[in-house]
Amino acid sequence: MRRGCLILAAGLLALSGAGRATETDGANPYPIRLVRPTAAPLSAMAQLGRAIFFDRFLSASGRQSCASCHDPANHYAPTVGQPAMLGGADLREQGDRATPSLTYLERQPPFSIGPDKDDQDQPPSLNAMVALGRDVARAVKTVGVEAPGAPVPQGGLFWDGRVDTLQQQALHPLLNPVEMAGSEGAVAARLRGARYAWRFVPLFGPAILDDAERLVSEAMFALARYQIEDVSFHSYTSKFDFWLEGRARLAPAELRGYRAFNDPLRGNCAGCHVDRAGRDGQPPRFTDGQFEALGAPRNPALANTRDPGFFDLGLCGPFRSDLRAQTQYCGMFLTPTLRNVAMRHAFFHNGVFHSLRAVLDFYNDRDVAPDKVYPRAGDGSVARFDDVPVAYRRNVDVEDPPFDRNPGDAPAMSAADETDIIAFLGTLTDGYRPSGR
Amino acid sequence: MRRPALLFASAALLALGATTALAGSGAVAPASGAGPQDSVPTATPIKHLVILYNENVSFDHYFATYPTAANPPGEPAFTAAPGTPRADTLASAGLLTQNPNTNPANGEGAALPFRLDRTQANTADQNHLYTAEQLAYDNGKADLFPKYTGRAAAGGAGTFGTPGQVLGYFDGNTVTALWQYAQHFAMSDNAFSDTYGPSTPGALEVVSGQTNGMKIVAGSRKPSTLAAVSYYIADGDGGWTMINDVQPAGDACSASPDQASMRGKNIGDLLNDGGITWGGFMGGFDLTAQNPNGTTGCKRSTQSQVVGKAVQDYLPHHNWFQYYASTANPTHAQPASVGAIGYSVQADGETADPANHEYDLTDFYAAVRAGNFPSVSYIKLPAYQDGHAGYSDPLDEQEGTAELLNFLQQQADWKDTAVLIVWDDSDGWYDHAYRTPSSPSFDAEADQLNGPGTCGTGTPPAGIEGKPVNGRCGPGTRVPFLVVSPWARTNHVDHALITQASVVRFIEDNWLHRVRLGGGSFDATAGSLEGLFDFGPREPAPMLFLDPVTGAILTAPPAGATP
Repeated sequence: MRRGCLILAAGLLALSGAGRATETDGANPYPIRLVRPTAAPLSAMAQLGRAIFFDRFLSASGRQSCASCHDPANHYAPTVGQPAMLGGADLREQGDRATPSLTYLERQPPFSIGPDKDDQDQPPSLNAMVALGRDVARAVKTVGVEAPGAPVPQGGLFWDGRVDTLQQQALHPLLNPVEMAGSEGAVAARLRGARYAWRFVPLFGPAILDDAERLVSEAMFALARYQIEDVSFHSYTSKFDFWLEGRARLAPAELRGYRAFNDPLRGNCAGCHVDRAGRDGQPPRFTDGQFEALGAPRNPALANTRDPGFFDLGLCGPFRSDLRAQTQYCGMFLTPTLRNVAMRHAFFHNGVFHSLRAVLDFYNDRDVAPDKVYPRAGDGSVARFDDVPVAYRRNVDVEDPPFDRNPGDAPAMSAADETDIIAFLGTLTDGYRPSGR
Repeated sequence: MRRPALLFASAALLALGATTALAGSGAVAPASGAGPQDSVPTATPIKHLVILYNENVSFDHYFATYPTAANPPGEPAFTAAPGTPRADTLASAGLLTQNPNTNPANGEGAALPFRLDRTQANTADQNHLYTAEQLAYDNGKADLFPKYTGRAAAGGAGTFGTPGQVLGYFDGNTVTALWQYAQHFAMSDNAFSDTYGPSTPGALEVVSGQTNGMKIVAGSRKPSTLAAVSYYIADGDGGWTMINDVQPAGDACSASPDQASMRGKNIGDLLNDGGITWGGFMGGFDLTAQNPNGTTGCKRSTQSQVVGKAVQDYLPHHNWFQYYASTANPTHAQPASVGAIGYSVQADGETADPANHEYDLTDFYAAVRAGNFPSVSYIKLPAYQDGHAGYSDPLDEQEGTAELLNFLQQQADWKDTAVLIVWDDSDGWYDHAYRTPSSPSFDAEADQLNGPGTCGTGTPPAGIEGKPVNGRCGPGTRVPFLVVSPWARTNHVDHALITQASVVRFIEDNWLHRVRLGGGSFDATAGSLEGLFDFGPREPAPMLFLDPVTGAILTAPPAGATP
């Protein structure tokens, strides 16, 4: 652990007031201004998107809409704890990954490897960007240490960042045979016959209904537009948001948890799950939008693991194919936002964990007590990183605290720390009503 | 600062008074209580020219169905006034229901043009390089846009993208303000960039009519080939012609290893020789300012709600005058005073003003408010408002444009002001209009318009050394061109062929006794802007105040809404 960042981190905690607020007070001594999206009547485009979002007849089974898995009642995530939802024409096919929440995607940048492109005539290809990044040492992510803008993979949607826009994202579950199991032709036919079909021509012109490909594209955009305009997808109304503004008080456990969340010697969560607001009042995203290989254990509850040769490698495949050769990225998955995480029932890309306690135990035990995390192999040894092929285990993060410890070391967090962090995570759920002043 | 003239009647009387005094004469009598620019003799009544140089739009991309908008419920509506003249649009050319871009050579991008909705304002940047655009125009057939310039690459998470997106167009429910300006003032449906290619060549054309005479100042990129595109070619006469973007040499914010400058002269040099006040005013230019989001220096940025990210305000490769040593301000020095804005020297009449005619956009507003409205002002909005797809959009562009025009129409100087709203290139967006090259070029790699190594026929026009040079294939792509002024014709669409260099010509004709830059500049051959104006005697075109967010017509100017 570097001494320099310890001092800086402690200073940061003091500056944020977390170290100085009295336990009984719970108020933020340094309130800030947050800018939230303003609620406005949905445009015609977004109203169309809302109708499509709830349309079950877009699925082959006729029983699944977007809302079936992205349930508005649970922050557009599943209400059930299955590691992956069931779909397909008969609703008996298991999906490959846990269903992400659709909240807080609106600020996700497009996928890239490296710094943002500005007005360039010729944006570099992905392989060129990778080449640029190859020689730059990756920064360790510790709270309080400003990491330089290293050319690392970032942005995009899905666990592997394989699409850039919500319009592109919406099409994948629609066409996935183990999800809504549609085809472009079937989806177009359904759109033409839907009760909301009258909306297409005024928006897109009379030729729209004759062009199946564009009809589906525009429908996907309408879905995207609904998610962009409807404030419930990004309301920033968690207790923590109001605490930042000085309009709510955190309970003692929540405050302790906030400190542990930011403590590089304990959770160090904010190293990747960034909890600082932007200077222009943009609320914290609780993700840096980058990718990590954490080596979560293999989930035997997923049907795809029955084949011992199958590995979900995230950035390098198999559900995206453009980075197959970049094996340094195998095992890396997108860091999701922690907003509304307390309402989830399946965690990580393979849904292997079912409670926040289990997640925190993983972070805590992975390196100091791997026998608590991974199964034993036939010879009795601990099958560490059993969900990553041997050749790629060097990709797994062993640098960012608390992953920088060794078997037998003291764990970074105590049981009380974990309890407190869980309490803090509970303050990240939307829908908190601050009491009047 | 004088109060705005709100009553149309009194404005008309004022204008009529000035008109009768000058009808038929070359000089203009100074109006009472006016600034020094009003006493400068001009060939037309225009004493203040403002060139708002926006980014990357083709004529059809904004006017494909003008003046008919779809008017879906809930969107700002546009209804054509009776008697609106015909413009050469996709609709009037019958190209909406059948179109050469359904050519199967376009692959999955083959499509008919289609309406982009207001909610789709955030689109991807298209390919607007010199050679790619020539390939799209395909010897005049204009049928290979999806193949060569089309890009459906992403912006932020909320972006719309589809193969064949390059064929998308907005209508008056999105570019409402521009349609209103066209409806109430004048626009051209035959305005072109002087050459194919992107922003920097376009910037040079509107101030010098010349992209030949480039100097490589830094970097090791080779001349452009089909395999490896770059920003210049060998002109065939021992020099270089700029064909794509490159950053201006020495600009404090030029971050690229490749930097260039231009050897020729520009209109600023001629204005300096003539003692005429002028300036280039760009958002983000003042590096000492701090933005609301805390950014400063070259990193000054502004958040766009439409695009969903913070966009850097100042883009060096859009800065017209920074490419010329005589008019450069590489350190972004500020003017010595508001009174010095537009002048080469400070109040003492001797000390050079440090800004050298290059200023921040806020300096423009300050100067105008102080009664020091330069004769010629080139304006670039902060990048998030410049209209360039990928980091800007028509809604942010509308807001910046309408705010500027609302401000200017409230000034007493409005009576002899003309605002030109012009674009620097087409972004490679589909436009059906093609002009046989009047400036041919025969670079074996870069020119592909009418065949390999071929743009046009005949001899290329002379470059700055007086000999024919390659790299200036044009006219290039059709762009919108509007004139907003009490002297503009009203509800008028002009069909005379003009280019960006026509702006240079207008300045030379109005203030400088028709002097020309020489050295092969296109000012000598560019069309005249006169068809867009009616210099009277006449009623002045009434003012038009628009809501910057919706483009809707306001009955009174918005209160205090200027930056």
